[in-house]
Amino acid sequence: MIKLENVTKIYKGEVPALRDANVNIDKGEFVFLVGASGSGKSTFIRLLNKEEEPTQGRIFVAGKDIGALNGWKVPYLRRNIGYVFQDFKLLPTKTVFENVAFALEVIGRPSHVIKSQVPAILELVGLTKKVDSFPGELSGGEQQRVSVARAFVNRPLILLADEPTGNLDPATSVGIMRLLDRINRTGTTVVMATHDRGIVDTMRRRVIELDKGHIVRDQSRGVYE
Amino acid sequence: MAMNIRYVARETGTNLRRNFSLTLASVVTVAVSLTLFGAALVFAQGVGNMTARWKGGIEFIVFMQPSATQEQLDSVQRALEDNPEVTQVSYVDKPAAYEEFKQLFARSKDMVEAVDENAMPPSFRVAPATSDADVIQALGQAFQKKAGVREVVFAFETVRTMQRITRIASIVIVGVAVFLLVAAVLLILNTIRMAMFARRREIEVMKLVGATNWFIRVPFMIEGLVHGIVGAAVAIVGVQGLNWAFDRGLSNNRDLKIFQGFVISGSQMSFTTLLLVGLGCLIGALGSGIAVSRFLDV
Ligand SMILES: Nc1ncnc2c1ncn2[C@@H]1O[C@H](COP(=O)(O)OP(=O)(O)OP(=O)(O)O)[C@@H](O)[C@H]1O
Ligand SMILES: [Mg+2]
Repeated sequence: MIKLENVTKIYKGEVPALRDANVNIDKGEFVFLVGASGSGKSTFIRLLNKEEEPTQGRIFVAGKDIGALNGWKVPYLRRNIGYVFQDFKLLPTKTVFENVAFALEVIGRPSHVIKSQVPAILELVGLTKKVDSFPGELSGGEQQRVSVARAFVNRPLILLADEPTGNLDPATSVGIMRLLDRINRTGTTVVMATHDRGIVDTMRRRVIELDKGHIVRDQSRGVYE
Repeated sequence: MAMNIRYVARETGTNLRRNFSLTLASVVTVAVSLTLFGAALVFAQGVGNMTARWKGGIEFIVFMQPSATQEQLDSVQRALEDNPEVTQVSYVDKPAAYEEFKQLFARSKDMVEAVDENAMPPSFRVAPATSDADVIQALGQAFQKKAGVREVVFAFETVRTMQRITRIASIVIVGVAVFLLVAAVLLILNTIRMAMFARRREIEVMKLVGATNWFIRVPFMIEGLVHGIVGAAVAIVGVQGLNWAFDRGLSNNRDLKIFQGFVISGSQMSFTTLLLVGLGCLIGALGSGIAVSRFLDV
């Protein structure tokens, strides 16, 4: 599903943020990216989404070399990739329903699809009662559920999560992880960067550890350290 | 690409409302510049219509009797063509003369109705080689006594002055209008840029979930087009209003006889209207096009 071949990323002539990475992630895998701050986790994730271009090497997503992708095709790549952030990136002037619907609307989905899929996904994340609330009226955990719903509403093949529990307390984090686990069980490949030792150690999934851009460990059913 | 019309309408509407004062500034600038432009055009058209027969160096016109025979016509024509002082002669026959008459006196319907084509004098329009007024005068007078000639009419000094003033005024007005048009493009560009800044979160999310570039751009492009078109609409009303006021002022003033010929035809007005709409669209598309291509990269 995801393959990195000798990928190096150097931001504007500085020290490499990612060095000669070779990774193969199969469909349906759940992968944790761990490592100190600045080790290159976010860079890894942004490369998959073509938010950043690799300085060297090739990246394949769903069998396609995304480096060879025309600019106008990038949106179609992204429709297959859900993205969850530490800071949620919800639109404050839209309700929960509208935030999720927005993701479908702007890729041209017809309104009958929106009307059936948005309530379904909000039920999956357990926010049926909050459809008409605004993000400002929700707890951090609830906001992150909305953002997961938005990332998953189009049923992407891949879900990228950059420290999705970074702003949440441990109990709330567990809830979000249950949700991501559930999404993973539908066959969606999940790649998640995290500093949360407790989560990594309880989930026991594949762990890729980065250190100053080097992949120093790639372990199935791994732990944080 | 599937593009939901309701979505575009809603987004554009929100943008227009959110930036009301800037939007107003853009629209007013477009309107003022296009009004000036349109007014200059209409004025030039009017003067052009009024002095149509004096275009291209024509200094005098030999009007024949409506009853002049073919021989008389031929003889005058030959005399004009053989004269070394004459560089160009063009013949205006009865139907053409009638058309011109109708246009020139469009304001006086009763007059047009009272005359029919057969009563129109055919004429020769003469462009002499010299610009010396005395020589031209003598040249024209010589034809006064020829058989079949009704009268010889010379270009008035006023006509020439009119043409000159119109030309200068048009250049100045159009210059100012172009200056304002550039300002309008910049204002629209800036307004759209502000709109995009106000919506940067939405744009960020749109890019992340895979909205195409065009999907993101179109509402902003339409916003710019709306500025241009609304401005053009205001300008069209302004130009029509000016023309109407001028027209009324003339109809009530018999002293300004020379302006009798200042009539804008329907097709000329349509042309001006279309031109203003086209310019409005162009300004809007230009301003917003630059804004979205410069400040909306993935
Ligand atoms: N846009 C950028 N321009 C220049 N340098 C960057 C940019 N993004 C990241 N870097 C640098 O690349 C390196 C890796 O950054 P990255 O954000 O991938 O680390 P991270 O592992 O996600 O860190 P954290 O755990 O703090 O989120 C860092 O040294 C960082 O300063
Ligand atoms: Mg990071």
